[in-house]
Amino acid sequence: MTPVHLVGAQALLFGRSLRSARREGIPWREVLRHMAELGAQSALLVGAGLAFFGTVIVTIAYAQARKYTGNITVVGPAYFELLLREFAPMLTALLAASRQAAATSAELGAMTVNEQVEALELSAADPLAELVAPRIVASTLTLPLLTIVGTFFSTLAAVFTVSFVFGADGAAFMDPAMVDPGDVACAITKAIVCGAFIPVAASLRGLRAKGGAGAVGEAVTMGVVEACMGCLLLDFIVAAVFLIIGV
Amino acid sequence: MNAPEGEGESMNVLLQPVRALGALAVWTLRLIGANAMVLGRTLFYLPRLEIGELGRALVLFGFRSLPLALGAATLIGATVVLQAGVYATKFGARLYTGWAAGFALLWEMGPLLLGLMMAARIGARNAAELALLTVNGQIEGLKGISLDPFRILVAPRVVASLVSVMVLADLTFLVAIIWEAVAAYFTLDLPVRVFFRSFADMLRWGDLAGGIAKTTAFGLAIAVISTAAGLRAAGGARGVGQAAASAVVGSCAAIFTLDFLLTPFFARLFG
Amino acid sequence: MRVTAQSVSLQFGSVRALHDVSLEFAVGSRTVLWGPAGGGKTSLLKCLTGLQFPTQGEVKWNDQPVQSRSATERREAQVAFGMVFQSDALFDSLSVIDNVLLPLRKRHVPEKDALERATETLERVGLSHAILKRPENLSGGMKKRAGVARAIVARPAVLIADDPFAGLDPVTEQSIADLLMEVSEGRTLIVALPDPVGSLPIERQVRFVNGAVAS
Repeated sequence: MTPVHLVGAQALLFGRSLRSARREGIPWREVLRHMAELGAQSALLVGAGLAFFGTVIVTIAYAQARKYTGNITVVGPAYFELLLREFAPMLTALLAASRQAAATSAELGAMTVNEQVEALELSAADPLAELVAPRIVASTLTLPLLTIVGTFFSTLAAVFTVSFVFGADGAAFMDPAMVDPGDVACAITKAIVCGAFIPVAASLRGLRAKGGAGAVGEAVTMGVVEACMGCLLLDFIVAAVFLIIGV
Repeated sequence: MNAPEGEGESMNVLLQPVRALGALAVWTLRLIGANAMVLGRTLFYLPRLEIGELGRALVLFGFRSLPLALGAATLIGATVVLQAGVYATKFGARLYTGWAAGFALLWEMGPLLLGLMMAARIGARNAAELALLTVNGQIEGLKGISLDPFRILVAPRVVASLVSVMVLADLTFLVAIIWEAVAAYFTLDLPVRVFFRSFADMLRWGDLAGGIAKTTAFGLAIAVISTAAGLRAAGGARGVGQAAASAVVGSCAAIFTLDFLLTPFFARLFG
Repeated sequence: MRVTAQSVSLQFGSVRALHDVSLEFAVGSRTVLWGPAGGGKTSLLKCLTGLQFPTQGEVKWNDQPVQSRSATERREAQVAFGMVFQSDALFDSLSVIDNVLLPLRKRHVPEKDALERATETLERVGLSHAILKRPENLSGGMKKRAGVARAIVARPAVLIADDPFAGLDPVTEQSIADLLMEVSEGRTLIVALPDPVGSLPIERQVRFVNGAVAS
């Protein structure tokens, strides 16, 4: 499958799932269950991962600043804006994409090769409305929340590192002076776009699994890779659009 | 992590958290043990590596990941310039974009993003293949004819993933830097010559070594964790899927943790 | 309902699963499709039920081509089919009775009637003692029975069984065969099997090789 075909197939699945959901109604209980699952599975990973990342970028910033400017707090506000606007949404999306895409494509892949998806269809249920649409809704609502968790923990870790390891004023370093509503809008847009995309990429591979157990493994590999690459690409596009319209 | 059921009802409520904690501890120890076992046996078989299997694994993990690594490199490079360039301009340091972007790429964004991609590509694939062999009983079968699956299947794969990630890292950094220069030219009107001058003047070989060392460590973690996850699999299609999924998640968690632990160390060593 | 396949071909990329298959299944008829694994039997069954669309030719339900119907119409007409899947395809997260209730609930049958019908059907297939168990705790034969119950609970006109005897011992095989003969009374029955077996007393036996009907 060429990238063009792939994007087409993803767009088609997204459109058909939404149409099915509109016809059949959205099962909000399922959506809540998926949200709880996503949150429970990913919050720790995102929180811990981004906390580590916050520490690391401060370490790097410190090394840079010591070499060229001498005063670390000068670069602080820029780092905070960069973290909030670019790094945190991107890394949260990538971590959530790994976690969630792997789980989704594994589950749907196993259901497909076990003919359970077809059993649903013959039971007069619409698999797209039952399996895909709730995941899209849940993930679109959850990823912005996870992004907030990630941003919070990376900032916290950065402040602690600056204060206790480098002995400077951590709160002054992570000064939100440069943050404006446009930065927050950019971050939230990225989270929403990636949140909607991840389950689509993963479900596509899961529902296309053909054959036995090996096909499920292949579906997971492809689902996660495409979800991650897609998130990188979408983040880049959103960042570029916000840059061009000058927000 | 599930505690075995059965005697649950008769148990004192106060004991339950203790029991859960115990189960968690056992689970953690088992996980560490399984990973250590994979690593140990790989080292043990290192001098007598199965060459054919190593070649196959190198093609599968390294060569076949090439398009993905190059695609990722393009996106990483363009993204980093977009991020770094804006701030460099804000501070009136546009001329230093080459250095800033290069530094960010080599030390943090390059290794981290490439690591996450490879966790998905190599980790999931390796775990899925081994899980398939495990649930089909082929691993047991190898033991039955007194062949050690670690020698035949595991050691070559661990070595191949490590080598693949190391080589892909060099290539990715190179391609990403070229794309950074291109992106800087188009978005910031920064001449390519200026980009590379600040890049060459202000970065040192140590910076490159640091990035590659980090990525290689990620590669080793991915190989070990995904192998252990694959060998743990049980129960048909669902088991294979779960093994692949847990390999990806475990690798991602390990990458962020290693990044945290190794960056100060490598920064002192190479910086 | 009369089901007709008219020169049906099915292609997956470069793999040809079905090649120019024409078959008719009259109302109330019973048919065995047999042939080696990978011969296209499952693919044909999925085309007949509208789970899969042929790449060439067409499947007709009562002389109306499946693909000419809108998605909604097609889904309404699909009620006519009950299928016992090769892999059972029961949902492990649901109890046996919830699995059987699924087709009724999705068709919005009132809960009280649905429960009555599901219990009745499970009694009929001989599973009344296991209705609250999870499928993973059932034996192979019992899973098949649960699969049959789910397939017939919505009273389909056509009952399809894909390799229903796989992995069963001869005694269980005979009991499942008897069950299929009994519940298909007044229905069209199509069974796919790897070899022709004595356990199913069915006249019409169609041999399938390499995705085509062999004479």
